[in-house]
Amino acid sequence: MNHPYSYADDREEKLITTEGAEREEENIFLPKPARVLQAQPMGRTEKYFRLAFSDGSSMGHQPGQIVEASLFGYGEIPLGIASSPTREGYFDLLIRKAGRVSTALWNLEIGDTMYIRGPLGKGFPVDEFKGHDVLIVAGGIGLCPTRSMIEYIEDRREEFGHFTLFFGARTPKDQLFPNDLARWREEIDWIEYHETVDQGSPEWKGNVGVITTLFAKTSISKGCRVIICGPPIMYKFVIKELKKLGIPDAHIYVDLERRMKCGVGKCGHCQINGLYVCTDGPVFNYARIKNLEEAF
Amino acid sequence: MRLLFLQREELEPFVSLLIAWQEVVGPKAKKNRFVFDKLESPAELRLDYDTTILPPKKYFFQPQQDLIRFSPEGFTGCIEPKPRIIFGVHPYDIKAISMLDYLFSDGKKDWNYLANRQAATIVGINVHQVFKTAFFESMGASIVTKGYDLFLTDIGEEGFVVEVATDKGEALLAYGHFTQVTPDQAQKRRKILYGQSDRCSQKLFNLPEEVSEKVALSFYHPIWEEMASRCFSCGACNLVCPTCYCFDVQDMWNLDQESGIRFRTWDGCLTEDFAKVTVQGGTENFRQDRSSRYRHRIMRKAVYLNSKLGGPACVGCGRCASACPADLANPVPVLNKIMEG
Repeated sequence: MNHPYSYADDREEKLITTEGAEREEENIFLPKPARVLQAQPMGRTEKYFRLAFSDGSSMGHQPGQIVEASLFGYGEIPLGIASSPTREGYFDLLIRKAGRVSTALWNLEIGDTMYIRGPLGKGFPVDEFKGHDVLIVAGGIGLCPTRSMIEYIEDRREEFGHFTLFFGARTPKDQLFPNDLARWREEIDWIEYHETVDQGSPEWKGNVGVITTLFAKTSISKGCRVIICGPPIMYKFVIKELKKLGIPDAHIYVDLERRMKCGVGKCGHCQINGLYVCTDGPVFNYARIKNLEEAF
Repeated sequence: MRLLFLQREELEPFVSLLIAWQEVVGPKAKKNRFVFDKLESPAELRLDYDTTILPPKKYFFQPQQDLIRFSPEGFTGCIEPKPRIIFGVHPYDIKAISMLDYLFSDGKKDWNYLANRQAATIVGINVHQVFKTAFFESMGASIVTKGYDLFLTDIGEEGFVVEVATDKGEALLAYGHFTQVTPDQAQKRRKILYGQSDRCSQKLFNLPEEVSEKVALSFYHPIWEEMASRCFSCGACNLVCPTCYCFDVQDMWNLDQESGIRFRTWDGCLTEDFAKVTVQGGTENFRQDRSSRYRHRIMRKAVYLNSKLGGPACVGCGRCASACPADLANPVPVLNKIMEG
């Protein structure tokens, strides 16, 4: 009789060694290091970061896609990419100091390393927007992921119709991206920008009121394609206004936020009924999810 | 189908040689229950077990699994599969493993699971004693035709008819004394595997497909509220389930405070903070009510995963029913009630 160990030992060794390298390459949890190029506190608890992958590769994302950003020893959080793929050589993220991980990330400075997995998920279907008027309704930190689309429209302006942006913040101090806002207020040739705050301040000369009050400031065409991103409470009030204007559900896209641990459709945390926000979203066509009770 | 025969007295020497060669895990007695654990000797193997506290998924998708090791010098992945024989897996657990294989391969492949799975050899066994809350017959999980490398059918005094299903199974044959199967033995095997259809005391009144269709339409059924009013949100049902695969990812420092690990742990959708996020000015929980979490678990098994798996993500092992401290996790009465209404 042959020695029973030899045959099977060879088989096992082959199984492990020939596929090991491949597995490591495909390891869905391994992030890529990215260097902080710019870091700027913004709003009360937010900080803006401009980053570039240390290996020189580009993000290669669609507007609206997300990343998992991490720092070893602290953990990983999902974030919307805040810059357009048309602006190469870097990508922008905004971190709100909220918990242990976000605070650790917030504390990073220029030259530090952040660890990034992505791009993940499905972003805004830009082809569906091309040739149409576009309205973006962003509330609070919802300006971040939509900024990737705003910049995209700016850079490829000839491909879109009339572009309107509504931005609402809690107070003037909570407004994000002040340089962008200042520019958007001025550069009326490519963007019609309206803003509001829930609570004003003595210096604030602009609108005060919830974001839906901005609908009275302008007219939105029926054929407009709409993006909504903001706090959960905002969606149903904005959608109510859009229904009054006769905009069909299928022309409305919502960008949703959920708890995520893997970003690749496994860990289960971001599920809305049978959908995964991380792989089926975070951008959803409203017609597809309007009847899912757990969506909003 | 390739069938061989292993005489009863040849089982011990076979398992002994396997243990000498590789890690072998199998059902062992633990107090009044059974667990899958490493076998030190063949005498510990209890092929007459009813079910184990935890399913064998714990060998591929560990309760805590390292994902990344980090230090000031850099970071590396932790895909380090260990060859292992899982000896004595019941058909419902084999079916559950096949489902997890699919779910971890679907979309982006999760090699942290798949590498462990590939390194394992699965030896199935027919069910001798039926667990008190099992309903695998109703879930079509009493018979499996794939997902194992060897499958043993205990045909009584004589011994075991052994089905050799894969090359990995073939590799085990060198360690035992197998003989040709006689037509009589093959017939006994058939009778045992296919001839027993009414052993589970828990039964669904309808086919899983019918259940899926109707449960999908029962999102607002009063039963969710009714059942969840007694739920502790402990997640025990999730933890013992062979098809639950949700997880949390966390980082931990080593004592040197410089290096550490990123790892994943089992998580459960019944627990309160499972779908909670931090939003402007506080938190938002997308399944805040216990009833919505209770419903989510049943819906996920009976409806949501159907589109991926082609059927319910439940194999009827009955572990959730026995693990629940409030005795409300058993899906059978819930599904039967929905079907009645």
